[in-house]
Amino acid sequence: MTKGKDIIVVEGLTKRYGNTTTVKGISFTVREGEVFGILGPNGAGKTTTLEMIEALRSIDEGSVILDGIDVAKHPQKIRHIIGIQLQSSAFYDKVTLREQLVMFASFYGKQVDPMELLRSVELEDKANSYPEKLSGGQKQRFSIASALVNEPRVLFLDEPTTGLDPQARRHLWDLIKSIKKRGITVVLTSHYMEEAQLLCDRLAIMDSGKIIAMDSPKKMIKDLLDRGFKKPEVVEQADLEDVYIDLTGKALRE
Amino acid sequence: MRATLIFAFTQLKRFMRDPVALFFSLAFPLLFLFVFGSIFRNDSGISFDVAVFNRSETQFARQFADGLKKEDTFKEVEVGSFEEAKEKMGRNEVDTIIEIPKEFGQLNENQHPSGTLNVFYNEASPDTGRTVGTILDAQLREIGQQITQSSPLFTVNQKPTTTANLTQFDYMISGLLGFAILSMGIFGLANQLPAEKKNGSLRRIRATPFTRTQLIFGTLIYYAIVGMVSLVLMLVVALTVFNFDMRGDWLQLALFLVIAIMLMLGFGLFIGGWAKNENQAAVASQIVSFPLMFLSGVFFPRFLMPEWLQGITGYLPLTPVVDGIRYITTEGATLFDLGPQLAIIGIWLVVIYTLAIRLFRWG
Repeated sequence: MTKGKDIIVVEGLTKRYGNTTTVKGISFTVREGEVFGILGPNGAGKTTTLEMIEALRSIDEGSVILDGIDVAKHPQKIRHIIGIQLQSSAFYDKVTLREQLVMFASFYGKQVDPMELLRSVELEDKANSYPEKLSGGQKQRFSIASALVNEPRVLFLDEPTTGLDPQARRHLWDLIKSIKKRGITVVLTSHYMEEAQLLCDRLAIMDSGKIIAMDSPKKMIKDLLDRGFKKPEVVEQADLEDVYIDLTGKALRE
Repeated sequence: MRATLIFAFTQLKRFMRDPVALFFSLAFPLLFLFVFGSIFRNDSGISFDVAVFNRSETQFARQFADGLKKEDTFKEVEVGSFEEAKEKMGRNEVDTIIEIPKEFGQLNENQHPSGTLNVFYNEASPDTGRTVGTILDAQLREIGQQITQSSPLFTVNQKPTTTANLTQFDYMISGLLGFAILSMGIFGLANQLPAEKKNGSLRRIRATPFTRTQLIFGTLIYYAIVGMVSLVLMLVVALTVFNFDMRGDWLQLALFLVIAIMLMLGFGLFIGGWAKNENQAAVASQIVSFPLMFLSGVFFPRFLMPEWLQGITGYLPLTPVVDGIRYITTEGATLFDLGPQLAIIGIWLVVIYTLAIRLFRWG
């Protein structure tokens, strides 16, 4: 997956709040069509980095070029070509999913078929429900549907599976894979290594506002093993999650 | 433009699905109208609560006292003793005490009934005493002329002007509508926007190309529709229940009300857009709404204020609204006649919407 051109070029990106610098001059590129992951502990600066790229937060130093457009100079142009699923996403209550999508599409000057979008995230039977009636996994899927109304070049997902049960998480992974197949570049943050390994073509690991490693998951694991790393215990052929999925099945519960 | 309209339409649907919002926006102003309307309804013209003490035995005094009871201007209050009457006067339950002295109505040297009435009034309200005195004086003079068969040299001919026959309610409704516009403008929106900042729905919209100017005007459109529905309901109740006597043109009134709603919504959008949370919004709404409520002629007529205060309060945003509505409904004024009011409203519209857009904060 190294064929695409660079769709996002981040250089020396910095964010300060008073005396503390939360993002310390990081640089990386995201290639067109790939799934790029940003991992790291809480407070590492993942969300701040994402929000600067999304033109939701001002950039104190450095630059972000997205699809050839300078984010700091043309935030409005950027908003037209990206889709965002926010960590604390909320939708107006008492507005049906179908109505929400029509409204969001109008913000981009577009008209969409809301049912088709809902079908793509398997929510067509909820078209006339209000968002406050959805389960956690349904909410996240709807959030992704709303981020796709403008057929974005890049889709940003901030911790999309946090708080979901294993079935809903697996379901969302399938959805993200299908979005990638449509040629949309995906940038996501996560706390789950299994998720990153499964979904991401390349990833950056952040800690204390810096990128401390960046490569494909396979290469990262290989490098670690090459340095002579060995797991202290024998790898079991199954873990508790396998047991759980075996007992409860893969079918979605919602 | 299409996005703004779809946004406004979506908000309107959301509003209609919310019983609490419906109640506060539509039913609450009606309750308010019923309460104030009932207080001011049958009061056409001035009347006084009087206690009458007839200490005279003469037939003339008896007839005169009975005549007072039939008079619309006086409402007789039943009291036991003179002391009780004075006590009630202290509590404003009685405006004046009319005492008919013992010798009232006795025949004088010309064989005509004569005498002097005593009118007691509270020192705190000399106007009331003087007015009652004047009315009684005029009545007695007329009776005197009938008895002596003489015609008066000078008379006052009272002719009603255009404002005649308007009830107190007809004057109050401009204040009631002004208050409704003020409260729906400031309190409704000033709370809604910070709540949406808190729950994250504005954050989600911020991630799209929808601008804050579009958001502000979309909200304006949706809320102006709600406001007009609310005012129409109030006017229907005013017409059917309180016999509101509309002297002006309904179209002129409708246009003026739309402008007035836009102005007051500007204040709500400004406060709600600026405030980061509901606490800030609550404090700011109180600071803005209280002076308007008490200094714009909503509850107290401005002509009761000292002149310097009348001058200043004339420039408050709600003053031209209340004045304008009153000129239309009681004097049949048109928008052309309301140039001074519309000028002040226009300046405020520019100021408040500039501030609302400039100081808007997404979160």
